[in-house]
Amino acid sequence: MSFEEVDQGTHVVLAPEGKFNLVAAPPFKARIDDLVAAGKSRLVVDLHAIDFIDSSGLGALIGGLKSARQQGGDLRIAAAGPQVKAVLKLTNLDRILSPYESVEEALHDW
Amino acid sequence: MVMPPSTGRQEAEAIAINVPADRYDRVVRLAQAIFGAPIAALNLIGNDSQFTVASVGFPKGQMPVEDSVCRVTVQEDEILEVRDLREDQRFSSIPSVTGPPRVRFYAGIPVRGQSGQNIGALCILDLVPRTLGRQQREMLADLGALLERELAVQEEMDLAGQVQQLMLPTSAPDIDGVEIAGRVQPAREAGGDYFDWFVVNDPGGAGKRLQVALGDVMGKGLAASLIASEVRAVLRGHSRYTDVGDAITRTSMTTRHDLEANNRFSTLWVGRLDPETGELDYVDAGHGLAIIASDRGYRRLDQDYLPLGMPIEDNWTRATDLLEKDELLVVVSDGVFDVLNDSFEEVEARLNDILDPGLSCRQIVDRIVDFAVSNAATDDVTALVVRRV
Repeated sequence: MSFEEVDQGTHVVLAPEGKFNLVAAPPFKARIDDLVAAGKSRLVVDLHAIDFIDSSGLGALIGGLKSARQQGGDLRIAAAGPQVKAVLKLTNLDRILSPYESVEEALHDW
Repeated sequence: MVMPPSTGRQEAEAIAINVPADRYDRVVRLAQAIFGAPIAALNLIGNDSQFTVASVGFPKGQMPVEDSVCRVTVQEDEILEVRDLREDQRFSSIPSVTGPPRVRFYAGIPVRGQSGQNIGALCILDLVPRTLGRQQREMLADLGALLERELAVQEEMDLAGQVQQLMLPTSAPDIDGVEIAGRVQPAREAGGDYFDWFVVNDPGGAGKRLQVALGDVMGKGLAASLIASEVRAVLRGHSRYTDVGDAITRTSMTTRHDLEANNRFSTLWVGRLDPETGELDYVDAGHGLAIIASDRGYRRLDQDYLPLGMPIEDNWTRATDLLEKDELLVVVSDGVFDVLNDSFEEVEARLNDILDPGLSCRQIVDRIVDFAVSNAATDDVTALVVRRV
């Protein structure tokens, strides 16, 4: 999986593509850890180009959320498609990883 | 020729039967290319047969062990090299020498199994007599060592998978009035899915209850299976003394460190049934995939609780439903749900396939798992089905 990354100064937007699974999750999580370690702990994950997420993908998002919050930041997700929303709802993870409709909306108070 | 059975030959047979297709082809191709030989193969030597499990220029499959050259190599500690098989009376009359492909040259390095005994050989064959130089012999020995390592890893994985399978309940629970079946099909040798059932005494003293559980630890493979084993064992321990909500809360507390340290989470659905009345206590920790189904329709047994291993501690509390005698309790893992496009409409559309009252729980479970596997499930696939009888 490739993902685009745009550093906006106050925050970083990451946009993964394709399947967010066991193969894609570790490099994505590693990148988030690097960003957080570099002081970039306000992160938005733009999920519009993800057509499938599994538990490993969810794990990477939750793990990223944990690291970001530990550094006083946050990880927010935006523009999730129907499959991603369904899985978040099924696992109740939307309680801690609430999906924003767009990247702009996710940024509302940053 | 009958060879006396040995640990090594038993091991070779076990590996040969389970060997994943193409698993060892790469090393064999490498050997073929390095030596510029028309034939290279990994042959395992069983009790009566040689199993060619990887090869170039020679078909995979079985041949009588007496027609094999590698049967001699496995009795050696080092490379067996024969310049011209016609000149060696041990091999001059075997079919591949006297008939097609009329091999002449043979070099093979024995490959050791976990038992410490040789189980087969990596060999190269040529149609003209030749000899190997010192460096080539070293190269062949290195390739043999590489295969040994590959085989060892595979065997370890297979054993881990067996351990996990053996932890699953196999016999009917010691309680009247229920029929139950479950099955896990891991995507790899071992995995993060598991199911469990056992009988507990109701903490309020109201008698025996059947507890069932289905858990899914994030990820796949051996690492996920280690965590799944822990969650299973801890839940079993806590379940003896308390209701299902409290048991999950305590399981979360006990496993929290290990889940967090490994950045894993586990969804978990646990039910506790009184087979006599049908009263069913349950807790849904972010699993969401338990239903009660009958020809009247279905209802989900889901709650809003988080899986185990999340950054915040939840307050898992049981809910209660009633399982009627003509209803099925069906719990699956997301490996099944993914195949149904994560859609309950599709679940509903498929329900008739499992609601035939003539089907046993075992048959229903097989239908669900086989359906998911045949639809190219990429995740571990698990199903658990219970009904009152």
